[in-house]
Amino acid sequence: MSTILKVEALRVAIGALTPLSSVSFSLEKGETLGLVGESGSGKSLTAMAIMGLLPLIGGRITGGSVVFDGSDLTALPEPAYRKLRGGRIGLITQNPMTSLDPLKKVGSQIDVVARLHLGLDKSAARNRTVELLGELRIPEPASIYHLYPHQLSGGMKQRIVIAMALAADPDLLIADEPTTALDVTVQAQIIRLLSDLIRDRGLSMVLITHDMSVVAQACDKVVVMYAGTAVEYGTVAAIFDDPRHPYTKALIGCIPRGLAGAQRLKGIEGTVPSVAHYPQGCRFHPRCPRAEAICAAVSPPFIASRDGAAACHFAGAVG
Amino acid sequence: MNALAQSGVGRAFTTPLGLFSGGYILILLVVALTAPWITPFDVTIQDLANSNAAPGWPHLMGTDEFGRDVLSRVMYGARTSLSVSATAIGFSMIVGMALGAAAGYFGGLFERAVMTVVDLTWSFPDILIALMLVAIIGPGLSSTMFAIAVAYLAQFTRLTRAQIVQLKRETFIEATINLGATPAHILSRHLLPNAVAPVIVVGMLAIGDGIILEATLGFFGLGAQPPTPSWGAMMSSGTAQLFLAPWVIIFPGLVVAVTVIAINLFGDALIRALDIRERLRGT
Amino acid sequence: MSEFLEVSRLSKRYTSKRGLFGAARSMYAVNDVSFRMTKGRVVGVVGESGCGKSTLARLILRLIEPSSGAVRFDGLDLLKQRPREMRRLRARMQMVFQDPYSAIDPRYTVADAVMEPFQIQGVRLSSAARSDMISGLLTMVGLNPQTASSYPHQLSGGQKQRIGIARALALKPALLVLDEPTASLDVSIQAQIVGLLERLQEEMGLTYLFISHDLALVKYFCDEVLVMYLGRVVEALPNTDAPARHPYTRTLLDSTFQPDPKLRRRIQPLAGEVPSPFDLGPGCAFAARCPRASERCRVETPLLAASGGGHAVACHHPD
Repeated sequence: MSTILKVEALRVAIGALTPLSSVSFSLEKGETLGLVGESGSGKSLTAMAIMGLLPLIGGRITGGSVVFDGSDLTALPEPAYRKLRGGRIGLITQNPMTSLDPLKKVGSQIDVVARLHLGLDKSAARNRTVELLGELRIPEPASIYHLYPHQLSGGMKQRIVIAMALAADPDLLIADEPTTALDVTVQAQIIRLLSDLIRDRGLSMVLITHDMSVVAQACDKVVVMYAGTAVEYGTVAAIFDDPRHPYTKALIGCIPRGLAGAQRLKGIEGTVPSVAHYPQGCRFHPRCPRAEAICAAVSPPFIASRDGAAACHFAGAVG
Repeated sequence: MNALAQSGVGRAFTTPLGLFSGGYILILLVVALTAPWITPFDVTIQDLANSNAAPGWPHLMGTDEFGRDVLSRVMYGARTSLSVSATAIGFSMIVGMALGAAAGYFGGLFERAVMTVVDLTWSFPDILIALMLVAIIGPGLSSTMFAIAVAYLAQFTRLTRAQIVQLKRETFIEATINLGATPAHILSRHLLPNAVAPVIVVGMLAIGDGIILEATLGFFGLGAQPPTPSWGAMMSSGTAQLFLAPWVIIFPGLVVAVTVIAINLFGDALIRALDIRERLRGT
Repeated sequence: MSEFLEVSRLSKRYTSKRGLFGAARSMYAVNDVSFRMTKGRVVGVVGESGCGKSTLARLILRLIEPSSGAVRFDGLDLLKQRPREMRRLRARMQMVFQDPYSAIDPRYTVADAVMEPFQIQGVRLSSAARSDMISGLLTMVGLNPQTASSYPHQLSGGQKQRIGIARALALKPALLVLDEPTASLDVSIQAQIVGLLERLQEEMGLTYLFISHDLALVKYFCDEVLVMYLGRVVEALPNTDAPARHPYTRTLLDSTFQPDPKLRRRIQPLAGEVPSPFDLGPGCAFAARCPRASERCRVETPLLAASGGGHAVACHHPD
């Protein structure tokens, strides 16, 4: 297997603040990696850094590297980035309404991507779009092509956004909370669709989500983020089987299993700190049931475990 | 005072423009309030020997055709202009808020009736309404006030109604209804207090417009009647010797302009300080 | 003895005109819903967006006037109460709202907000009793009594939701309607709030009507479950162990992921779209998406029928 995306010790600054630091992971071809965390954890910021979109919010990469298919993106000039975005890297956003132009037919919005990045002419692009819509299990693709976004349901709009992301035949998909705005039954359909696409097309995907259940369902690997930093990464099997970081463990414990007589839900005391008030040492220590004196003083290093690593002073200890 | 400080009004004074315009308005207010005691000359006493004297000592702004001190009359005129405009706008604001709040809260046929009438008054230019009312009631300060009040009623009613309609959708209103609150409680404790800030700022800006309307009516001889000094009436009488004694018309005109500009600048500063630009949109 | 809460044939119909000259269309937000609640139980109402669950909550509390049907609360016919009686009765039936961010007047301090119920209901308290009450209520919902002087914008979403709960419980109501109380909160905070609600229910013997889109959470939290689809109750489960018999409930179950990669769902493709709620024709509203749909399902609306043991299903071909 070859590595399609490798992020190492990524560090992002916005003004004088450092809302993101020490994020590392690697994604192999054909894999899905989950970037999971609560609001303010820095998961969307990581995606923006990979996509070269930080200037939009006045941010910049101040350390580490983002290597896509062998080339470092951190120094990539904007024109080259523009070719990459929508070309070899497709983006799926949370809210389909903001990524679709309400005044244009959905079909032509997909055409544009293929014409821009693949240099297809008008009719070739249209044929390709209709084919793509069919592949996304959209009924009667030739007539859907001519509709406007407001004529479609939320799930259908999200499929159009996925089609746009796929139009230029990318190698990597970045999906930022692609199902958060959708109903559960629609979410399940979209997740299935994405999983099938990954498998059939040999794509790789970074799936950003706040939902551990979605990670368990759809991902091969996972990076758990908290307060602007990665706290644990590893294979999905290892993380759910034997979480080494207390935050990961707590986050899994927050989800009802839907089984009668299940254990009581345990929330995590306190609240996520804001970027201006990140605590010293381990950022989770004020809320951590395991915290000791060292946690408040020393930022924990990553300690390798079975198929992963956790940034906790006690990650090596049993229990 | 605590509530005032918390509302952020003080922040309006933190920019240079806000400080100058606010300071000017405060000084003008003090002058208007104390005019009878601080004017250097009596505003009604005529001194024909000194008529149309150019600005200098002791008449800093000169004298008019009857030898009255222009500076004293401008100071006294502030009292007339500000009190007429502020009283009229205050009255308009109270009635507009009551109408707008009731229309927004109760909705239905009542709302439609109120808004139709109010929109009708808005479709005529202010000056036309004012002239119409003066024609009916006759010239004088009270009809000027009434005219200003009616001319700006629509603005306050519409703004209040829009605020109330928007606030009504907030969860805390539904939650309060669910606690068993009466409409009076909801309006007086939640809806009006949250709607009042933008209305007051618009009211303050309207006082500037009111001053112009008062001056206009005064200029046409339909407002304050002689010998009461008012900026509009002074300018009107100054037209007769525009070339002989231009200071009689220039100084009141200048004060009207500066006052209106200051009120608008301070209004902008308030909008920024209270962070209510968004809420003023579309009304 | 009459039931604690009895909802019979409750409906809410909305009509709207499409454009200036369009024909009037009508939809049932809630359509012919009947159920009973026993004191001290937790009944869940689950369904996707637009199924009418929030409207149902507001109809029960008479925050919206129903088009037809009846609600009996503790032997009283709610719809026959005059405004003054209704306002007094509201002290006994309270609600916690979905959006904690706008649930408190921004100009109120926490103390003002939790004391407002007493002010509204005309309960006079001495200043000593008042401060006791404030700290008692805040402690009850797990907040520091020092929070009393804070304004809402100084609080986190979870803290605001705790204030919302304190306000709702201030007058010691018998019935608490919870309208997605955790849907806009982060996962770790969601679990905190669910834990708090569980504790309060046990301590105060409260009766909960719990509205949610999250079947896993409902199964975890509730004693009985009503499943809604496009305004109707399609299945009533007497307990959370009862196997689902309605195809829609089964779809909902299969779409709910587990936080465990060993329990991945095999997501079945779901044909069709949720139909427009306007001018629904005869037949089962789920028929277009249902794998079991027959000709009968398209012409005859299935009614909720008891199938033994308190279980009821509205389906021509239940499992």
